[in-house]
Amino acid sequence: MKPARKKRLALIALMVAGIATGIGFALKSLDENIMFFFTPSEVAQGKAPQGRLFRMGGMVVSGSVSRPGEGLTVHFDLTDNESQVTVMYTGILPDLFREGQGIIANGRLDKNGAFVAQEVLAKHDENYMPPEVAEAMKKSGGEL
Amino acid sequence: MNRLSLSQAFIYLLRRDLTLAVRNRAEFANPLLFFILVITLFPLAVGAVPELLARIAPGIIWVAALLAAMLSLDSIFRSDFDDGSLEQLLMSAHPMPVLVLAKVAAHWLVTGIPLLLVSPLLAEMLGMPQAAQGILLLTILIGTPILSLVGSIGVALTVGLPKGGIILSLLVLPLYVPVLIFASGAIEGAAGGLDVSAQIYMLLAFLFLSISLSPLATAAALRMSMS
Amino acid sequence: MYLWFNKLGSPPHFYRIAGKWMPWLASIFLVLLLTGLYGGLVLAPPDYQQGDSYRIIFIHVPSAWMSLFIYVVMAFCGVVTVVWRMKLAEVILISSAPIGASFTFLALVTGSLWGKPMWGTWWVWDARLTSELILLFLYLGVIGLHGAIEDKRVAARAVAILAIVGVVNIPIIHYSVEWWNSLHQGPTVTKFDKPSIHWSMLLPLLLMALAFQVYYVLALFQRCRAELLLRERNSKWVQELSGE
Repeated sequence: MKPARKKRLALIALMVAGIATGIGFALKSLDENIMFFFTPSEVAQGKAPQGRLFRMGGMVVSGSVSRPGEGLTVHFDLTDNESQVTVMYTGILPDLFREGQGIIANGRLDKNGAFVAQEVLAKHDENYMPPEVAEAMKKSGGEL
Repeated sequence: MNRLSLSQAFIYLLRRDLTLAVRNRAEFANPLLFFILVITLFPLAVGAVPELLARIAPGIIWVAALLAAMLSLDSIFRSDFDDGSLEQLLMSAHPMPVLVLAKVAAHWLVTGIPLLLVSPLLAEMLGMPQAAQGILLLTILIGTPILSLVGSIGVALTVGLPKGGIILSLLVLPLYVPVLIFASGAIEGAAGGLDVSAQIYMLLAFLFLSISLSPLATAAALRMSMS
Repeated sequence: MYLWFNKLGSPPHFYRIAGKWMPWLASIFLVLLLTGLYGGLVLAPPDYQQGDSYRIIFIHVPSAWMSLFIYVVMAFCGVVTVVWRMKLAEVILISSAPIGASFTFLALVTGSLWGKPMWGTWWVWDARLTSELILLFLYLGVIGLHGAIEDKRVAARAVAILAIVGVVNIPIIHYSVEWWNSLHQGPTVTKFDKPSIHWSMLLPLLLMALAFQVYYVLALFQRCRAELLLRERNSKWVQELSGE
């Protein structure tokens, strides 16, 4: 093999190695918790930080929404089917907020382990169907 | 005439650019001064409230670093373009991407390292928590080479233009956004006592990808600009 | 095959063919658009959760798809430009940018209008939204760079490199909703298992997507013809054309 060609091959090998390392790091990074997003069970296990803003996502527990006193303050429980965390929020809730709906709350934990949300966002799922179909699926016990 | 091996050529080019930078001190003093000045503007503008400053410090430092890196980018190829040595480089027998890498490395040593050195001082002035300062240094160490590498593509594309400056920022800033997001996210997370290895890995991924790929684009762009 | 490709790549030939196709494309576009809109806004039932507000997907989703698709087309033309210096690829690359930017803008605006009632916010800085915004800046960068370089053939090569570099953003946009816990919902139609959308809504959506696609080709042809005339204004075929 000519030395020039050898050199070129070595450069290409170096480049491929660089790209592979980069992709490796990217995949490793995606394995970790990059958005500071925690589920209620992680919060219950104490993995979430105290007194720092983070995002918590889960389903609103049916029948847990209550409005203590007047004004816009609302309390509800958020679950991931394992643990529950109480969320307190003062403000206007989005249209899609309802019991059983997935939401993402942005806020911090207070000393009693309740989550004080500064922002509540409703995450709607990627399913679109007419109400009759949803009704029928619910009746037949199918998964929505 | 004896021919230089590729690694010798790399080192000569690096040394040449560093010598030029040392002779012409403005090249590394100006971006550094700019960086410090921009950061000083923030306490004056938003008010010197310690809690507020500590909270937005990662963002301030990184935005300032981004702007400083961007303003200094033009010096990678500008003078070589003006005096014709860039044309000589393009005609060399060595693969252009490697030579580009040498020039970018010189640029980073001249502009990135000073930022790295003064940032602990500035972090302290902004009241950034101790826990975050190590991560700040790490993100600047990993992040500024990415800025130089990606920026070199933009400079190479615009070096032939009479008024390349504003268009350069339009090209380069969107590509800088991911670095900004992950770097400031890492510092903010570290300040809150969170595990930020995900962000650091992501920055490392950007670094390796840009080292491997951006010199190719830069070399192609230089060829285009010289034609 | 190669001959055909070569022939299509020649500006006068493309100019003529494109001109011949445009009325057809325009009528196909109108038919698709009207049936799509009728199907989406009148025939399709309201959603079980979002009621009528979901109907914005008939604009939002196709525009978002097009914003990605057009960028990929541009990057592909960029490769062709750099490697083969094909004039037509250069023209397609340049002419696509404003169309792509418009679709990106449309996707961002409609998404924002949708986000306010559904999520409770106009805008969140989450991965999907941010990367789409960067896409808009990339398009604008392409347009800006092209405008800044006097010699249009040189400009095309510069823009080609930029388009190729920017293509790294495309997979990030597409997978952002899966990689990060984003507020934006996951993909509905392009999932590997069966799409999780009722056919009565899917059908108008696909019609609209097709309509947008045809519109892109139509607008592209129009812009390409104008660009070709501008670039080749000193060539023989253009002068013959205007001499008529």
